Amino acid sequence: MKFLEDLILKLGAVDRRVIFVLIGLAVLIPLLTPISLPVRETPTTVKFYDGIEDIPKNSKVLVSFDYGPSTRPEIHPMNVGVLRHMLRNGHQIYISCLWPDGIYMALDALEEITDEDNPDNVSTFDIKEYEDYILLGYRPGAEAVIKGLASDLRKVYTVDANGNFIDDIEMMDGIKNLNDFAYIYSGSAGYPGTFEWVKYGGDPTGVPMSSGTTSVQVNEVIPYVQTGQLIGLLAGMPGAAEYEKLINVPGIAIQGMAAQSFAHIVIVVFIVFGNLAFFIKQRRDRKY
Amino acid sequence: MSFSAILGAWIAAFLTLGIFSYLYRDNPFYKIAEHVFVGVSAAYVAAISFWTQIYPNLFGRLFPKDGPLAFTGLEFDFNHEFNILYLFPLLLGVMMLVSVFQKFNWMARWGIAYTVAIAAGLKAFGYLNSNVLNQVKASSVDIFSGSLPLFSLGGDSIFNNIVLVIGTLSALMYFYFSKEQTGNFGRFTRLGIYFLMVSFGASFGFAVMGRISLLVGRFNDLIEYSSADYNYATLGVLVFIIVTLGFWSFQNPERKEN
Repeated sequence: MKFLEDLILKLGAVDRRVIFVLIGLAVLIPLLTPISLPVRETPTTVKFYDGIEDIPKNSKVLVSFDYGPSTRPEIHPMNVGVLRHMLRNGHQIYISCLWPDGIYMALDALEEITDEDNPDNVSTFDIKEYEDYILLGYRPGAEAVIKGLASDLRKVYTVDANGNFIDDIEMMDGIKNLNDFAYIYSGSAGYPGTFEWVKYGGDPTGVPMSSGTTSVQVNEVIPYVQTGQLIGLLAGMPGAAEYEKLINVPGIAIQGMAAQSFAHIVIVVFIVFGNLAFFIKQRRDRKY
Repeated sequence: MSFSAILGAWIAAFLTLGIFSYLYRDNPFYKIAEHVFVGVSAAYVAAISFWTQIYPNLFGRLFPKDGPLAFTGLEFDFNHEFNILYLFPLLLGVMMLVSVFQKFNWMARWGIAYTVAIAAGLKAFGYLNSNVLNQVKASSVDIFSGSLPLFSLGGDSIFNNIVLVIGTLSALMYFYFSKEQTGNFGRFTRLGIYFLMVSFGASFGFAVMGRISLLVGRFNDLIEYSSADYNYATLGVLVFIIVTLGFWSFQNPERKEN
């Protein structure tokens, strides 16, 4: 028993760099030798999927890219999935960005799903700018931008991301404000993002909306799902993986789930050993 | 593969591994990556904010094509009409900029006061409506609704509604400081702490999950850049950093952590 306690004490006091290396290996090995683990859909993801399915076909939808390269691994797979899902249902997509580098994330996502020569209309599409989608681009101002979109979109966007006048673009005919969209989606990594869209976009206009968020935000955003202010939620990379499964296009999120699971196991093991070591040390200190 | 793509991969691999090198200890590679990130981010946001907001929305409204200020020679055609009110934000903006001079630093207060007042007014309604009223409404549930099952893991149920009501009330009561938290009231507020702890635990779990997701993303990119297409960028940078860091550590033993 004493030997076991000493071993736990040693493990509890292991150099932090050893833990870094072990977590690194737990992530790296499953990525180098892909392991397939089952992905089970959670109710919030299913609700999200159903919410998009319920949009009347060939509607106008607003998709906001509210993230940058730093949170790309979590949000990008969701947004790519959402674009695929919406294009399959024939929606016209209007892309806005509340983050400066969101525009590049949007361009990357569009490039990923575009195949002009051999579109399978499931994962790749022959899409045309100003017919299937429009890049409205980035505007600084966070909630002020959303409030502006809710009252008069053309005051916020007089030109699109390419510098073309909004008034001259046929796809913009009939779009005055957020009420003219059938659905709002925000792929959000923080401020400005989901919270601002709910407060100044979805709630005041009553337009149905949903969001994909980083894991860190989930605990704060989830009450919006319970109240119906958000129709479902994609929660971090696992949410993206579940969504990829639902739309039947396995991607980078599903590939990352094995690495995610193994890293969690390593962390849990060290939390357990750390706590056991703490209690053993406390007991020994009390004894002597 | 184009030269710019290969160069981009080498830079990305260097910056990623430079940041990772901090896990060993603070070192020049980490410092380089950190300073590049801060500098590039600040410059990028400043440039993009100017060209996407100030240029079209401010100058475009003050100096529209054929506008009353066209005689100045400044004309920006963004389909806007002249609006004299936009002189006000321009003035406040200039006042904030001139505050870099000690003598005029009082001028920044006007701009800050305007921004704070607008933000407070804008946020007050949104917060009250979405985060207070809607949440209170959603917490007012029919606990013993006949249409609900007794227990459900995922959806609404009588058990979940009871947990919701007790959790909300006890956690709120924990922050009620006008009565000493002893006796039955103290036991009820202690229950609130447990609910809060569960919430903090979930937040911690989600935070860990998020960080691992980001690590997965970086590793995916590093694996991609280690291919022959990118001239083995990851491996090249990794060897360079390890060798240089080893030499640097040997030269700077006094900085070693215990």
